[in-house]
Amino acid sequence: MSEAVITANSLVAGDVVFWAGGGWVEALADAERFADPSALDTTLQTAKGQTTTVIDPYAIDIVLEGGQPVPASYRERIRALGPTTHPDHGKQARGGAGVEAIAAHAGAGVRSSGRLGLIRRK
Amino acid sequence: MYRYDAIDAAIVADRAAEFRGQVARRLSGELSEDQFKPLRLMNGLYLQLHAYMLRVAIPYGTLSADQLRRLALIARRFDKGFGHFTTRTNIQFNWIRLGDAPDILDSLAEVGLHAIQTSGNCIRNTTADPYAGATAEEIDDPRVWSEAIRQWSTLHPEFTYLPRKFKIAVTGAAKDRTAARVHDIGLKLRRSRDGELGFEVMVGGGMGRTPYLGQTIREHLPARHLLSYLTAILRTYNRLGRRDNIYKARIKILVASLGAEAFGREVEAEWAELDQAAIDLPDIELARIRAAFNDIAFEDLPPVSAALNAAKAADLSLARFVRNNVAAHKVPGYGIVNISLKTPGDVPGDCTADQMDAIAALADTYGFGEIRVTHAQNLVLPHVKLDDVPAVHAGLQQIGLAAANIDLASDIIACPGLDFCALANARAIPIAQAIAARFAEPAMAERVGELKIKISGCINACGHHHVGHIGILGVDKKGEEFYQLTLGGSGAEDASLGEVLGPALPADRVAPSVDTLVDVYLRERTPGERFLDTYRRVGLTAFRSAVYAEAL
Repeated sequence: MSEAVITANSLVAGDVVFWAGGGWVEALADAERFADPSALDTTLQTAKGQTTTVIDPYAIDIVLEGGQPVPASYRERIRALGPTTHPDHGKQARGGAGVEAIAAHAGAGVRSSGRLGLIRRK
Repeated sequence: MYRYDAIDAAIVADRAAEFRGQVARRLSGELSEDQFKPLRLMNGLYLQLHAYMLRVAIPYGTLSADQLRRLALIARRFDKGFGHFTTRTNIQFNWIRLGDAPDILDSLAEVGLHAIQTSGNCIRNTTADPYAGATAEEIDDPRVWSEAIRQWSTLHPEFTYLPRKFKIAVTGAAKDRTAARVHDIGLKLRRSRDGELGFEVMVGGGMGRTPYLGQTIREHLPARHLLSYLTAILRTYNRLGRRDNIYKARIKILVASLGAEAFGREVEAEWAELDQAAIDLPDIELARIRAAFNDIAFEDLPPVSAALNAAKAADLSLARFVRNNVAAHKVPGYGIVNISLKTPGDVPGDCTADQMDAIAALADTYGFGEIRVTHAQNLVLPHVKLDDVPAVHAGLQQIGLAAANIDLASDIIACPGLDFCALANARAIPIAQAIAARFAEPAMAERVGELKIKISGCINACGHHHVGHIGILGVDKKGEEFYQLTLGGSGAEDASLGEVLGPALPADRVAPSVDTLVDVYLRERTPGERFLDTYRRVGLTAFRSAVYAEAL
C-alpha cells in the first residue's frame, strides 16, 4: 500500500523540510511515514498550524525502494535532491543511502505533482 | 551611464528599510504568509523549489562594473557563488534565505540596485537594446527613453495594481534585439518624413499560454509625448482589462478582443483628455538624462585595427570570436563585444561570482566600466577598442566565457525549469545542455549559422519558446517530462509565432530531433538562407515528416 509524508519549505531558509515527530527534518529518509489517511490528515492540520516555522505544508506520495522512501513524482524527487543540473547543490550534496535511493529512481514518476489532495484520496 | 540621483537613492534605501520591518513582522508571526507574500513579491523575493529566489532589477539591462562586482559579492556571500541572467535582462539568485534578504537589499541599495518592480502586477523593469549608444543602426538612444519610463513608472501609485504584470521594451534600431513585438508595449524609435523623432507604438504582444504579436496602434508618436501616451494606454488597460480571470488579464487579451483599432481609439480618446503637459517630461529633464548617457570620451581611431587583424591571423579562435561575437560600433576603431553565457555544457545564463568580478575588471580596463545584459541571457561590453579585443578575448578565455556562438545553435535560451522553478512542468536546462553538446564543435555551429533555440519549462514561456526558430516547451504528459517543438518563431524585427511541429516528444528524443531538423535545413537551404528563412520557404511538412518518420 502507498505511504505518504508531509513536506513544506522552511520559513527562514526556504529549504525543503519533512515532518517527523512533531517537528521538521531536512532529509526525506528521516521523515515520518503515514499509511493511515486519517492520521495523515490530522497531522497535516497540526503541521499547517506551524506558520512561523514553515510555509504551505502538504502531503506527498512515496514508494519504498530498498527500504528507503522515494517520492512518487519527479517534481518531488527534484525537491528532495536538489537541481539535477548542479549535483553539488541542495540535499543531494550530502549523499547517503536515502539520497542514493531517490537518485536511482529519478526517472519518470507517476505524476508530475506529488501533492496529495489535488486528486481526492479515497 | 545614468546614475541614480539623491531621490532615487532615498527611494531605494527606504524600500530596503521597509522590507526589513516586513520580514521581522513575518518571522514574529505578526504577518501571515498570505499577508506577507505580496509584500515579498513586490521586492522580487519568490519561493522556489529549494529556497527563496531573489530577482534583482537591471534597468534596461545596463550595469556598471561596480554594480556587477556587488552582484558577485552577493552571489558569494548569500548564494552558492553564482547568479542567473534572465530573458528579462535581470539577474536571479537561486539560494536565498528570507532572513538574509534585508541585508541583501541594503547591500544592493548601496550601488543603486534593487528588486522593485521585478514582480507583481505593475510596470516591470523596462528592457532596451543591449547595443544602445553603441550601434550605428539606432535612430536614438533607447536608454534615454527607458530611463524616463523608469522614473515615471517607479512605484507609480496608479499602476501598482494593474489587472496583470506589464512589460515594455524599447528599441532604438530597426534591427530589433529586444523582442519588442512580444511585449505588452513595444516602442520602436523612428523619424518622421520631416525628421521629427518619434515612436512606433505596438501594443498587446505577449507569450504565455495565449501568444500574440503586438499590433501597431500609432505609427508615429512624437517622442516628447511618450509618457502621457503610455499613461493613456495604461489607463485604458486598467479600466477595461479583465480582473476576473488571471489567464485573460494581460493587455494582449484586451487588444485581441477589442481589436487593435478600437483599442487604439480608446487610447486616443483617453490621451486627448489627459493633462499631457503635466505628465510629459520637460525638455530640460530629458536633456539631463541624455547628457548622463553621453559621458564617454571616445578616441579618434582608424576604422581598421592593424593589431587586431594581425592577432586574428595568428589565432583562429580569436578570428572566430570576432566573426560571431563582435558587432560594428558607431565610432570608428571600436567594437561591441558580446560575452556568451552559453558555453556548451554550462547552464544558459549562469555566471559565477568569479566570472562577474573578472568581467567587471575587463569592463573597467577596456570598456568604460559598462556592461549590458541581453534578453538572450548573454552579456555585452558595448564600447571596446578594436585594438583591445585580443586582450578581452584572452581575459574571457581565462574564465571560460570565450564561446564564439552568439545567435548560433548552442546559444540557447532556457528558463530555470523544473530544476528550480515552482511553476515548471519539466526541466529546461538539461535539454539545452544536450542540444548545445551537439553543436559544441564551433565549426559545426558556424556551418549551420544563425539558429535561435529557445526552451521553456512551462506554458508561461519565460524561455521565449514561441519566438524560437526552434521553440521547445516542456509539458507534463501523464507524469512524465515531454517536450513540444515549434518551428518558425522569431522575436526580432521579422517577428512571428512558431507553429507546432507535432506530438510532444520524450526528453531523450529532443536533441536528436533538433539534429534531424538541422539536417533537413542543411539539405533544403539555398545560399544565404538562415534556418528561419528556409523554414518559411519550404514550410512545416518537410521538417515534420523527417522528425516523426524517425520517431516511429
